[in-house]
Amino acid sequence: EDAVLPAPQNISILSTNMKHFLTWSPVIIQGETVRYSVEFQGEYEREYANESWIPTCECSLITATVCNITEDISATVAYNLRVRTVVGARRSEWGTLKGFFNRITTSLTPPLTKVIADGYHLLVELEDMGPAFQFCVLYWKKGQEDRMQQKVVKEVGSVVHLDTMEAGPDYCVKAQTYVEAINRSSNFSQTQCVRAQGGTSMWL
Amino acid sequence: TAGIRIFRFGPCQVSLSMTEIRAGFNAIKANIQARDPIRTLSILSYPHSLHKVQSSDRCCITHQLFDFYVEKVFKHCQTEDSSINRKISSIANSFLSVKRNLGQCREQNKCTCGQESSEKLKQILENYEGLNVTSAAIKSLGELDILLDWME
Repeated sequence: EDAVLPAPQNISILSTNMKHFLTWSPVIIQGETVRYSVEFQGEYEREYANESWIPTCECSLITATVCNITEDISATVAYNLRVRTVVGARRSEWGTLKGFFNRITTSLTPPLTKVIADGYHLLVELEDMGPAFQFCVLYWKKGQEDRMQQKVVKEVGSVVHLDTMEAGPDYCVKAQTYVEAINRSSNFSQTQCVRAQGGTSMWL
Repeated sequence: TAGIRIFRFGPCQVSLSMTEIRAGFNAIKANIQARDPIRTLSILSYPHSLHKVQSSDRCCITHQLFDFYVEKVFKHCQTEDSSINRKISSIANSFLSVKRNLGQCREQNKCTCGQESSEKLKQILENYEGLNVTSAAIKSLGELDILLDWME
């Protein structure tokens, strides 16, 4: 009689910047191709749909031990997640993530920023992190931290114009992300300072 | 952006990922509406459009409608297509969050219900119960944009 297929172990979530991945340890069975299937269950399913489970968008019968569940975690509620092993027609028991996952707990990293002095224009280039992200950019004349100015950037496209600089002083810039769906912000990026130099770009 | 809308009904304020919900609904709208053979009836708009609702009752009617969809509609909309089911799950879980927030407003008396809202809900339930449950649920789901448009 076929040995019982072991369920996946060490199931965990990696969630950074609203991208969510479920990972687990590989199940090794000599001479066999081991596959995995992942399912999720939102709060609605637990409370109103007989605790039903839904197959994930991308991870049915996969061989990898990581699954991108970002598409499936599309509401700010507590989700259950589970994965099982599949070899041919044989299925293991489900391995279930310990505890719920709510996207509100995603870790938010500061945005990659590039500050540019284009002649007398203070510009910033922001990393495109996806539609869920806005940016708060702070900029100030060095030494005048009490007169910091702020610009909220909702759509990241091209370079953002912050200010027209005077010749001489340094101008400093830092930025953080803001995710409306979970009402949270990242830490600020490293401060970068530049100075206007006639018509040429100048880094400090 | 994720298109969070803050809806203010007097002292009651709830946030809703409108873009995410609309994206989920638009992805299934044609499929769901194709499953609704009865084109002459409406659950939400018969006999009167939602747009006639007095502003004082908007909060209550919104809560009642979210409650209606969570309690009665979504569970009867399962299809044979798992991608459709996933989108329905996404909308249902978002509706559950809003329903809860509106429920808290009602508990704090920030979302009062007048006669108009109870009459409107009564009419919607009559329309709903006039069909068999699956047809009524599929039709209601197909009319979700009527609710979203009215809210916006």
